[in-house]
Amino acid sequence: MPYHEFDCSKCIPERKKHAVDKGPEDDLTKALPLGYLNTIPGSISERGCAYCGAKHVIGTPMKDVIHISHGPVGCTYDTWQTKRYISDNDNFQLKATFATDVKEKHIVFGAEKLLKQNIIEAFRAYPDIKRMTIYQTCATALIGDDIDAIAQEVMDEMPDVDIFVCNSPGFAGPSQSGGHHKINIAWINNKVGTVEPKITSDYVINYVGEYNIQGDQEVMQDYFRRMGIQILSTFTGNGSYDELRSMHGAHLNVLECARSAEYICNELRVRYGIPRLDIDGFGFEPLSSSLLKIGRFFGIEDRAQKIIDEETARWKPELDWYKERLMGKRVCIWPGGSKLWHWANVIHEEMGVKVVSVYTKFGHQGDMEKGIARCEQGALAIDDPNELESLEAMYKLKPDVIFTGKRPGEVAKKIRVPYLNAHAYHNGPYKGYEGWVRFARDIYNAIYSPIHQLSYLDISRDDIPGDGGFRTQRMISDVNLSQEVRTSKNLREYTGKYDTISPLREKTYPEFNK
Amino acid sequence: MADMNDKIAQLENFIMKKCLWQFHSRAWDRKNQNENILRMTGELLCGETVNTDSPTDRCYWVDAAYLADSFREKFDWLASMSNKEIKALFVALKERMDFVTVDGSLNAELTDPRY
Ligand code: SF4
Repeated sequence: MPYHEFDCSKCIPERKKHAVDKGPEDDLTKALPLGYLNTIPGSISERGCAYCGAKHVIGTPMKDVIHISHGPVGCTYDTWQTKRYISDNDNFQLKATFATDVKEKHIVFGAEKLLKQNIIEAFRAYPDIKRMTIYQTCATALIGDDIDAIAQEVMDEMPDVDIFVCNSPGFAGPSQSGGHHKINIAWINNKVGTVEPKITSDYVINYVGEYNIQGDQEVMQDYFRRMGIQILSTFTGNGSYDELRSMHGAHLNVLECARSAEYICNELRVRYGIPRLDIDGFGFEPLSSSLLKIGRFFGIEDRAQKIIDEETARWKPELDWYKERLMGKRVCIWPGGSKLWHWANVIHEEMGVKVVSVYTKFGHQGDMEKGIARCEQGALAIDDPNELESLEAMYKLKPDVIFTGKRPGEVAKKIRVPYLNAHAYHNGPYKGYEGWVRFARDIYNAIYSPIHQLSYLDISRDDIPGDGGFRTQRMISDVNLSQEVRTSKNLREYTGKYDTISPLREKTYPEFNK
Repeated sequence: MADMNDKIAQLENFIMKKCLWQFHSRAWDRKNQNENILRMTGELLCGETVNTDSPTDRCYWVDAAYLADSFREKFDWLASMSNKEIKALFVALKERMDFVTVDGSLNAELTDPRY
């Protein structure tokens, strides 16, 4: 597995060990990109800071909480509403964001008074909300504000509130991943074990590393409820602050995004003896085997099997409609840290696409091990890419679509490569059986968008065909399909609804005897 | 031996593509996972009873049961192997997994003493 040197990064020789080509006969012991290191000066990285990783990724999906940043307003503004982690309490955590609005004078004279005043003001403005998280930022960390002391003062004065302090300023790690680590450890040290668990089932899990992007958590929750399993807490999408304080009461930790949340699972295992089961909520086969494993753990695999059979029968013909049309398309899986391995194999097997590259902005070497192990030979794996490297990779690999964040996604559009938002999704949720079909539909729409096809024409250079008429998606996607596939009665396009989540919130579930 | 190596490669490839348990973040975790999940998978394939009394063992077992079912379905050569041969195969598979994920791994984080 040789290291891959980008032409554009020859002037930054340290970059060479951050990319490899997966060759034949290679295994992970031959070459592995470096990871979780400070970005090399001169390389324009696509990463976020450790404050962002703590607050934006993990803290703020908690739904019944005032999330306040102690620092300049820019830190909080840039981590507000750019990820669609919805909730079933009218999206309180997305609608409002809070900051202490630190200015130069506070840097000189201290900002603790300002912090206290803001905390009290925020609780008064939202009297129904009694829980708060406070995030340290670079500026207030550097002047040494004692957030813990202020939070304690407020809790002493207002006994019905509880406050969690996250000390993860932007500089506290090489990337957002440093913040994931810090908030995981801070939560287990300070909050887990401080509320008695309310147990309502014989089968109790924490669902960890799941952020309810466009409703992912609620889709999985539906399956668990159908199996009679209680989600004691979700860390953290659609999760409630007090439920997360009672994580120690679960029988099993079901871990989805190990990159952002394995730390708390590992600690729950060491401190409370709760085992950790890593699962995949994406794709039919990985999801089915995950449900079956959880069912087996509790001795209720028949309930899991029932769901698998029902959901597969309902959605597989739709997945296969897209698979026929996506076969052989070249894709780059360029997400943050975990989707490269969640998707690398299953998207190839179940949608027929060819994964030509995986990258991770902030993953550790362990994520690269998983990603490289799961993708096919010939793929290019890159750690912490810079913008020029991404461009070079796209020119060389010629992907039909890339899955990435919206900043690199806009760069891709400029060179006419369509992109789908891997972090916040386009038309998600993408988890669950129906969700996986929705992802396939988004990929199909991205690759075969008639409007996007027009972007391949350069009006300053190309002849513009005036006689072809407008070509619909189906005319473009079906051109090479056999008559049998085109007219198949067994396959069909997605037939689900625009909103798949609201009905789940109204649903009633069977009672299982204890 | 070539035959044995080929079999190990097929099983390893399946684990690498489909499983996550072998990639816990620390060397001792990985060794534990490899040891327990592969041992139980071997026991299941030999028709032996697996101890699932503690939650920890049950958690190993659910991954092992998935593997045993999948291996039986995908690799029909397993059916013609004796229990003794299966046990030997799994000892060798565990050695290989330990090498790829721990002893030969280039992951510098594996020896970090804390999570
Ligand atoms: S790096 Fe520091 S100043 Fe910048 S957004 Fe992060 S916390 Fe705020």
